Amino acid sequence: MNKSYLGIFKMEFKGELQYRNKAISGIFTQFFWGLLQIYLYVAFLNDTPVNGFSISQMATYIWLGQAFFAMRFITMPKRTGDNIVNGNVSYNFVRPLDLYNNWFCENLGQKIAATLLRFPLIIVIALFLPGNLKMYAPVNITALLLTILGIILGICLSVAISMFAVYLTFKTLSQKGSATIVATISGLLGGIVIPLPLMPQSLQNVINYLPFRFISDLPFRIYIGNIGITEGLIFLGIGIAWLIVLIIIGKLLIKSALKNTVIQGG
Amino acid sequence: MLYNKFLKMHIKTSMQYRFNTLFIGITQVLVNIGEVLGVWILFSQFTSVKGYGFYECLLMMGIVFTVFSFAECFARGYDEFHMLIKSGEFDRMLIRPVNIHYQILGSKIELTKLARMALGIALVIIALVNLNIDWSFLKILVLISSFICGITTITGLFIISATISIFTIEQFEFVNIFTNGAKETAYYPINIYAKWMTKIFTYVIPVACFNYLPLSYLLEIGNVPMWLCAISPLIGIVFIVPCIIIFNLCLKKYKSTGT
Repeated sequence: MNKSYLGIFKMEFKGELQYRNKAISGIFTQFFWGLLQIYLYVAFLNDTPVNGFSISQMATYIWLGQAFFAMRFITMPKRTGDNIVNGNVSYNFVRPLDLYNNWFCENLGQKIAATLLRFPLIIVIALFLPGNLKMYAPVNITALLLTILGIILGICLSVAISMFAVYLTFKTLSQKGSATIVATISGLLGGIVIPLPLMPQSLQNVINYLPFRFISDLPFRIYIGNIGITEGLIFLGIGIAWLIVLIIIGKLLIKSALKNTVIQGG
Repeated sequence: MLYNKFLKMHIKTSMQYRFNTLFIGITQVLVNIGEVLGVWILFSQFTSVKGYGFYECLLMMGIVFTVFSFAECFARGYDEFHMLIKSGEFDRMLIRPVNIHYQILGSKIELTKLARMALGIALVIIALVNLNIDWSFLKILVLISSFICGITTITGLFIISATISIFTIEQFEFVNIFTNGAKETAYYPINIYAKWMTKIFTYVIPVACFNYLPLSYLLEIGNVPMWLCAISPLIGIVFIVPCIIIFNLCLKKYKSTGT
């Protein structure tokens, strides 16, 4: 049984690796975006400095965000949305696979491949940029290891959250709209719209405990030293707890959606 | 008029899927509200950047949302021109005795964008109410012309994207940097970016001509000469002319995909 999920994962992983041209144009876009944001926040931070978030830390945070954009941005798994809207999903009902696990593995494969294709080049270029634009090395080796752990957790969380978009697609039959809702909320609370360390402290006190910030904000902040090692470990624990909770809720929701699915024939 | 018929057709098709149209419209507005919230949060932390406060930026965002969604609604045909080529629909258009631009404009009218346009206008009004502007007749003209300039600029970018897809058939994603980049840079005063970026988004793509410069005139701030700020939208409108000329020239090289 587990073998078939591994197969699904491998298939999607290899499939995503085919889209190299898309990745290259993606890298260009991400790169330009990174420059734009750094110039913007340099202007803000020059006017009013923020405690524990210097310009070099900000630049590093932005580049990490651009390098791992494919993983932190919530998307619907490819084809799943189409299949739900056009009814092909019913073929899956006769297969002896759990649909939630099936989609989870598909999306995980796509996300990991898309991330691996994009992040090395962006990081390498960013490390050699001049002046304020430069990305810096991690504060220490332990921080780097925790960052990698955090990113693995983040990819899983990102996929778990995208399953809510799948659920909404069942309810609304609009995949574009459903993905947009989930991506917008997660983007604002996860630090894509503006980096979370730039938000007022009172707001951060709440957002820091919501699941969205564990996707990418936490590992990035451990990397730049904005969050210490022990604090980082505690937060990673909270992130894992959120992952378990979200998977359980997601499974229940998908189950209830499937129960109420009406196949119209044809 | 033929365009009215196109318009009616598009209204009818989107009314077929009423819930979907409405839902997509609302979710698109949600994205923009997310962005506005982001800027609001940022300004609650920083209060100002280069003399610009929240409401100045809100006015810029409002203008950008309005002109962008207007162009996306009515000039979407250029943006999705590669689809017309791929499906062979464009070949059919070429043999019809109607102006090709007229047909491209009529090929797609995306009414869901009207929701976003409404939000843009609402933001402009909120910002104008909260800003202390010494109104004069000329200022009203400048504001109106900057909306027109914005629409022509974004449409011009869509036309360039369409021109490139004459050769590449696929949509050339690199152009998105300029369309989306134009949008994002326009939220904040353009002079906070690096010199080369400011130059690109002023002289090459006249983004500054529909927000930063006319706004400097409205608010009477900045160090660009006021008369130049006042006529900048009129200069920016010219941008669309070379876009159309280049499109028409490249059209002569068009080869059908054979679909």
